[in-house]
Amino acid sequence: MYTIDLQSRTPIYEQLYKKVVELILKDELKAGDKLPSVRELAKSLGVNPNTVSKAFQLLERDKVIYSLAGRGSFVSEINADSVKEKALADFDNAAAEALKAGLTRRELIERLDGGVKAGENHEQTS
Amino acid sequence: MIELKNVRMCFDDFNALDGVDLTIPEGTAFGLLGSNGAGKSTILRLLSGVYKQTEGEVLIDGKPVYDNVEEKSRVFFINDETVQFGNMTLTDMRKYYRGFYPKFSDETFDKLNGVIKLPENKRLDKFSKGMKRQAIVITGLACCTDYLLLDEAFDGLDPTMRIIVKRMLVDAMLDRKLTTIISSHNLKEINEVCDTAALLHQGKLLFNRDLDSVKGSIQKVQAAFEEEVTEKDFEGLNVLHFERNQSIVYIIIKGEESEIRAELEKKKPKVLDMIPLTLEEVFIYEMEGMGYDYNGIR
Repeated sequence: MYTIDLQSRTPIYEQLYKKVVELILKDELKAGDKLPSVRELAKSLGVNPNTVSKAFQLLERDKVIYSLAGRGSFVSEINADSVKEKALADFDNAAAEALKAGLTRRELIERLDGGVKAGENHEQTS
Repeated sequence: MIELKNVRMCFDDFNALDGVDLTIPEGTAFGLLGSNGAGKSTILRLLSGVYKQTEGEVLIDGKPVYDNVEEKSRVFFINDETVQFGNMTLTDMRKYYRGFYPKFSDETFDKLNGVIKLPENKRLDKFSKGMKRQAIVITGLACCTDYLLLDEAFDGLDPTMRIIVKRMLVDAMLDRKLTTIISSHNLKEINEVCDTAALLHQGKLLFNRDLDSVKGSIQKVQAAFEEEVTEKDFEGLNVLHFERNQSIVYIIIKGEESEIRAELEKKKPKVLDMIPLTLEEVFIYEMEGMGYDYNGIR
């Protein structure tokens, strides 16, 4: 479930952050669900525990997760909306860039229709 | 915490280290990168008290290492040379090191060899190269030191052993704030295991940084502009490399993606593509930027 690409240009902690957010958006992680410990994740991914901690700290700062001393980290209640808001903001930026780069609204809409279909298929298979 | 203060190390007329300043906080997994002969092993040998520096200070938690038995018992050096153990068996090694290292854990030793299953009563010089390496790694982890130095860390270990060692390191980092220093010329490995890395070249430290901040610190830009541009037009940016092929320019720029994008947008580009460099590419450009030939580090 928690997969990362060690060859990627994106820092590992950032990939992990995005992965948790993605799992929440796909409803694979629900409010109150417990996340694996830093130790478990570091071992299963074969990465440095400091890197995993960093992702958890950022997730906690952004209130996506919360931690209880001695018990672990859990998915927060309120995150769905804020996460969706962030996704929309990202989308707006990307769309603005695309328009600047000379694409038309129609092309973007067509693109979106194609992309959404791909996304739905992905959900069904996963 | 490990501190090197203006350390110079000369062997006859050869400067292996030429004024190195380096601080490594506790609990860090630190990667020492560099081509052969850059000075990586020399730093590890200074930290384990094998060498005495010609000039400067080598400190562990503020205390000099050389000739300091107490500090040395907190450091284990997994050397790439294992000849000195030739006439010992694994059982001999266990006894030998148990005498030196107060926190030696037989439990860890047995747990590790329970997985690896090296013969305990066979002389090490009858072992294969990889087995010798495993023997010293098992011993090193069992010594439960606060500092673990690995020279060409993962060389000679098979993939299973690599995973075992990595997992052991995770536990040790979380349970007892182990600091590991790993020398390697393999960026991929350093990227996986370490959070901070330094690049050495000809006895000098070129840079020392958090690996996450290295990634994404340099951008590769491909753009086309309405008007003809030259390198001069980008003087406000930290340009490492500039190339033009008719109307398309290729520029390597150091800095944050969003800032560079904002700056370039002002010049009204017709096309603007930007991707961050991979870790490997960053190292190459950093070396190039300092006027070094980077061929040795790939």
